[in-house]
Amino acid sequence: MAQNFLEIENVTFAASDKNKVNNVSLNIENEGDIICLLGPSGIGKTTILRTIAGLEKIQSGRISLKNKTISSKDVHVEPENRNISLAFQDNSLFPHYNVLQNIEFGAERNIKKKKNLTINEVIKFLHLDHVKDKFPHQISSGEAQRAALARALLSKPDLLLLDEPLSNVDQSFKEEIQVKLKQVLTDLKITTIIVTHDSYEAFYLGSKCGIILDSQLKQYDDPYNVYHFPNSVEVVNFLNRGILIPAKVTGENSLENEDLGTINGNFTKHYPKGSDVQLLLQPEDLEHDDQSNLKLEVVDRKFRGTNFIYTLKTGNDLLIPVFVHSHHMHQHEVDEKFGIKRPINIDHIVCF
Amino acid sequence: MYLRKINIWYLSSFFISIAVAIPIITVFSSFFESTSNYSDIIKNTFLYDYIFNSLSLLLGVLFLTFVIGVSCAYLVSFYKFTGSNFFKWALILSFAVPAYIYAYSLTAFFENYGTAFTILKSLFGEGNYNSQIPKFDGMFGAIVAISFSLFGYVYVLTRASFHYQSQNLIELGKNLGFSKQKSFFKIILPSARPAIVAGLSLVAMETLSDFGSVSFFGISTLTTGIYNAWISFDDLALANQLSFYLLIFILGLFVIENLSRKKAQYHSPTKGGFKKKSLTTLHGYKAILAFSFCFLIFFISFLFPVLQMLYWTIIFPKHLIDLDLISLFSNTIILVLLSSFVLISFAFISNYGNRLSRSKFLEILTTFSISGYAIPGIILAVAFITFISWFDNNIINFFELKNIKSIFIGSILGLVIVYFIRFYSLASNGIKSGYLKISYSIDESAYLLGYSKFKTFKNIHLPYLKNSILLIGILISIEVIKELPITLIMRPFNFETFATQAYIYASQDLLEAAAAPSLFLILIASFFILITSRYILKD
Repeated sequence: MAQNFLEIENVTFAASDKNKVNNVSLNIENEGDIICLLGPSGIGKTTILRTIAGLEKIQSGRISLKNKTISSKDVHVEPENRNISLAFQDNSLFPHYNVLQNIEFGAERNIKKKKNLTINEVIKFLHLDHVKDKFPHQISSGEAQRAALARALLSKPDLLLLDEPLSNVDQSFKEEIQVKLKQVLTDLKITTIIVTHDSYEAFYLGSKCGIILDSQLKQYDDPYNVYHFPNSVEVVNFLNRGILIPAKVTGENSLENEDLGTINGNFTKHYPKGSDVQLLLQPEDLEHDDQSNLKLEVVDRKFRGTNFIYTLKTGNDLLIPVFVHSHHMHQHEVDEKFGIKRPINIDHIVCF
Repeated sequence: MYLRKINIWYLSSFFISIAVAIPIITVFSSFFESTSNYSDIIKNTFLYDYIFNSLSLLLGVLFLTFVIGVSCAYLVSFYKFTGSNFFKWALILSFAVPAYIYAYSLTAFFENYGTAFTILKSLFGEGNYNSQIPKFDGMFGAIVAISFSLFGYVYVLTRASFHYQSQNLIELGKNLGFSKQKSFFKIILPSARPAIVAGLSLVAMETLSDFGSVSFFGISTLTTGIYNAWISFDDLALANQLSFYLLIFILGLFVIENLSRKKAQYHSPTKGGFKKKSLTTLHGYKAILAFSFCFLIFFISFLFPVLQMLYWTIIFPKHLIDLDLISLFSNTIILVLLSSFVLISFAFISNYGNRLSRSKFLEILTTFSISGYAIPGIILAVAFITFISWFDNNIINFFELKNIKSIFIGSILGLVIVYFIRFYSLASNGIKSGYLKISYSIDESAYLLGYSKFKTFKNIHLPYLKNSILLIGILISIEVIKELPITLIMRPFNFETFATQAYIYASQDLLEAAAAPSLFLILIASFFILITSRYILKD
């Protein structure tokens, strides 16, 4: 008997042969949980949302919501009877109604639900006040996206599905809206699945993140684990927050790299001494030290506001990223030497 | 897609398409039926005349409508001169004048002792003017009458294409150092080619299906051949076989156009990059020339037939008094309202069915069925009668039920059904183009907000498409008011519209009596055109 709020069991999501995610099993345990699905474009993330919403059928497996099967090979509850809301990525506002009227469509549904969110509150937090009397063709794509989000939120569904909800939203509002969105979803206990390709957005909004790659759900875990303990080389490459370098296991808590020397830390998995492994090295794993005798050549420097990311070249032509706080005393130019603090200690050692 | 299943919407769409396709299937199946002896005579003698005359008429009309339509569209789209804004919409008033009424006007004006003679006599006194007045009769008259009545199709579509032509394209020509002429022939004209060809295709279909003016001028074409085979020789199978040749003819036109276009890409107004053009203001003799050309076309295509009919209506008031205006008006309006309602309702149901099911099969079936527009009204009427007769003789008789011929033949119901088949593509394509503006995610959003399929249709689609519905309704009305052969064949006994009344008088050589109904027909159609001109020019 299903106990989770949403259960997806061995479902293959397919819009076409190319756009397919095979054999997915995933649960949302509690009402009000927010999960995020991350993956490259065209991999089938939207298809997953459309299928859960009932806009696509499934040929195998089962989807159940609140202990009731809504999709299986033999069962298909029509989308209008699921009480699931989907905010599309593209403009799906009704073109002949103004923004306010569009939002009111959402409010019409589930008017009896106890915990209420007023239209004005939503309009205010999504910065839609100045466009509420305008028609969809008169507003920007970011405003249209926020209006669609407002409509979906006000419908207070059992399950809210957001497809790249903030992809067109101006950077200046984005973080503020992310914060308020999370607050509203949590306060109203609206269970939500968010599809995004922005890992920072996913890590912030989701209590769990699913990584979809190569037609599979590769990893489904909390954001910290997804980032620090990726379970496959594909996930490492997708997140693009570190590199894999060759190393040899030299002890219970150490390994050796030809360019960086000894690296100490706790292995997340056991490897026999002498094994050749690929070590995940993330930008924050190395520390800068001007006094160190381990010097590497700077080949690139990116200013990211709060920090710099230096790309360093080793003797074996490996390119290693390193974070340095942007208030660091002095900056290193390209072609200069950059010192790395030794010995290198990494909190958790992830190898493949 | 979740609704890819057979439901009520799917079935409705399926049956509507099948019903519309019946006459086409009937025409094709007739090829295998036996015909009377008359068919051998026709095939050995007149058939070549029919084909030659149809072809000559077609080429003449295509040439004239191309020159007039494209020239007018070019002048009002790229230049500003006195009256250019007026001509933009005034030139489409030619739609209100059916070719057969234009033919009556031409004859009335240029015939011996006609209006031209009267004018010359009043200006210069008695004289032998008849020999100097050119005669517009026979093939030449038919080409002129049909061309001035139909050039509007080429004008409207080409103007829309010119209107949406990006300024970038024109600036590109200037950048490349092209002269105005070179820009026109190398850039402007080729990029408007799909629109011009679409306009010419409509002209071609209308020309091949024309009955009123060719029969008035006594030219034997495939259309008159079909009519004669059926009316004079009572040979429905032969009428259908001649229709089959005509269909092959029309199909051939489409194939040639498609092949010649190959894979060339043309501009699309829906794609990005549209930058409004700046119009060139004409001065001096160029402005006078542009004005004169447009005025001449407007005068010849619209004012001339209206004034001719008005003149006769005034000098022969007896015919106006004899006319049962109330009955003619009410009959015309009944047909307009019934046809518009039926066409729009069914086109809506069918399109929504297609939209929900997203079935390729339904799409192909719909495309096939709407090719009924390419079939001359006369063929549709004959095919419909053939089908009803077959159904009555084989199915109804088998079950020993009451004869149904009288219900469908010579009745308003039958008439509206054939109108439905003839104009279904107009309604269906109109609704379809409206639907193309509504993305699927709009429907899906409505479902996800708890709206059922029907509620989505009622609360989202209908309000959104109300302008399209109005426009389509008016376009259907214009077509129904002008329609002649179907009305002539299918109407109940003693049931006349302005079109049939005018035809009946004209066929009895009572042109002055045909003037009043013709004038009313033009005025009503003009009224509808003026209402819709804003939309017609926009889209």
